[in-house]
Order: sequence, then structure tokens, then C-alpha cells
Amino acid sequence: MPDTATDIDPRLLEILVCPLTKGPLSYDRTRHELLSAQAGLAYPVRDGIPIMLVDEARSLSDDEKAALAGKA
Amino acid sequence: MPTPDPFRVFDPPALRRHRTRAAAAAGAGDFLFAASAERIAETLGEIKRRFPRALDLGSRGGLLARQLSGLDGIEHLIGADTVPAFAPDLVLEPEALPFAPGCFDLVVSNLLLHWTNDLPGALLQIRQILKPDGLFLAALFGGETLTELREALIEAEAEIENGASPRVSPFADARDLAGLLQRAGFALPVAESDRLEATYADAFGLMRDLRLMGETNATVERRRGFTRRTTLMRAAEIYRARHAGADGRIHARFEIITLTAWAPDAGQPKPLRPGSATTRLADALDTEERSSGNKPTP
Repeated sequence: MPDTATDIDPRLLEILVCPLTKGPLSYDRTRHELLSAQAGLAYPVRDGIPIMLVDEARSLSDDEKAALAGKA
Repeated sequence: MPTPDPFRVFDPPALRRHRTRAAAAAGAGDFLFAASAERIAETLGEIKRRFPRALDLGSRGGLLARQLSGLDGIEHLIGADTVPAFAPDLVLEPEALPFAPGCFDLVVSNLLLHWTNDLPGALLQIRQILKPDGLFLAALFGGETLTELREALIEAEAEIENGASPRVSPFADARDLAGLLQRAGFALPVAESDRLEATYADAFGLMRDLRLMGETNATVERRRGFTRRTTLMRAAEIYRARHAGADGRIHARFEIITLTAWAPDAGQPKPLRPGSATTRLADALDTEERSSGNKPTP
């Protein structure tokens, strides 16, 4: 059984986009972050609750951006 | 000193602090929110329709969701708020919605959107995340909210400190809101206004309740730091002199505006084009058509 207390509801995950660019997000389950390649931002997920606020997001490093671009 | 941006009236971090504090008060100041949630649930109950996926914008810890749980039309309700302490599912700002277009059948919002800086922008985004013929149902505080307190504070400050600063947040009125909904591309917009009254021992009791609700002033131009005690005392005096009942308790008015609007869809009723009638009004009324005699002279 998945850890429902700390993971995002999959029904929510499938409709989430970046609040800034409305572009797609990829979910980093190990770091608990939602990554927006277009905005270059990582939104934190705390106790399974995505914090979709631009002023709480972390800027992605160039390496992270390159890794995301490689996956796309 | 940075130039103040005329379009940024409210300060979102201040509002988030107020809401987090309200969450810690565990519902002590929730009576207006509960009354308004009941009204939203009632309105929704009258609409015979299924809403498989719904968004609650300003969940306040599921206060409205509990009212809606008795309705069978909603299958999945996502609860969002601006602070984690109030958010069952996710944290967001209404001006930057993190949802794909056309993914909700219903968006409900209980007393949050009056804090939005860019309300037209937020309404446009709400319309975009709704499916065609999806419903938007929201309550906001309207322009007649706390007029007594606003007047008393402004007068007291002018009298004692020779100046006035904004003390109570500005609100929109029902007509403005219906117009904004239309401009955001909604169909069949309706704005209805309800007035609620509460009584308090004094103005300090009212202000304490506003803090419990998380509804104290969060304007950018608000005064930082403490207001002089003499100013507050004078405001309480002015308030009591003008708005106390026979029992000595003061009255405070709140206006709650309920909005309903639909995302446009081809199947919705629309007004006919002028001149498109195929039968004469006179025939329908079984009468003879007569000129009003006010024809313009050539």
C-alpha cells in the first residue's frame, strides 16, 4: 500500500500544472518536490500537501534544468 | 523607498499570517464563515446536477466541505487554501491557480476572494479551469461590511493624530462583481447580497473577533506597528455613540455577496438578437397594433 500520509493524491497530481507558466510538472518523489522545467522552479511537497506558491519555490540549478530537459 | 503599486492593495504574506493565526483559534471566529457555507450548500443543493470533480478555493480546514458532504452530486472535492494549516489537499494563491484548463465541473469558494489583488485575473483563471457548462459558486464580503468600524477608526484617527490611513480592507459591491464575471467570460452571472448583523460588548470585542477570523486589515498601505491606545479608545467611543442598541451592545454589519456563474457552453440559454422575432407581439396579446404617435419627423 502506498504511503498515503506523505504522498500526493494521484487524482490531484494528474491535474496540477505550474502556477506561473501553466506548464507541466514532474514529481520528484525522493526529494518531495514538483519541478517546473519552464519556470525553473521546484515547489515543495510537505506531508503530502503541494505548496504551489511561487515565493516558497526553490530555483533549479543549471544541472537540474539540463537533467529535466534531457528527460523531456 | 519602493513606489507603491496601485494595483497591489493587499499583502498576501500578511493575509497568510492572519489565516494561520485563525487556524490556531480552531474555529472560534467562524460564525460568519459557517453561515455563508450554509448558504452556498443550500444554493448548490437546489441545482440538480452532478459535479464529478470540484475545487474548494479557500477550504478553511474543510468548513464548507463538511456542509457539502450531504450532497450526492460531488464525487471528488479538492480542498485548497493559501496556508497549510487550512489546506486539506494543497496550498495556492487564487491569482496563480496551478490547474490544467477544463479540469473541474465545479469551483466553490467561501469568503476568500475579497482578498484578491487581481480579482479579474483570478476570475479568468477560474473560468479557464472549469469545463464547459461548469459552475462557479462563491461568497465574498461586500462593500457594506464593517462600514461602522471604518468610519469610527477614520474619524478617531483624524481627530487625534491629524491624519487617516486605511483601516478596514476595501470591498467590491454586487454590481461590480456581476460585471467582472461577465468580463471574465462567464455566462449567466448572478450576484446576490445578504446582510448579517452581529452585536458585541464594544468595538474591542469586534476587533478581537476579526483577529480570530483572520480578517483583520491586510492592505499594503496599512499602518505598521501599534495604533495609539487613545485613538482606539476614541474610535470605540464614536462607535458606541452611533451604533449601540438599548442594551448598550454595539451593532456590526456584514454584507456577504454570493456569486453564481457558468463557464460558457453552446447548450446554454442565450438572449435572442433584437429584431429576430417571428411573431408579432400584438398577435400574442390578441390586440391591434397601434403606433405610439411618437414617430420621428423626417
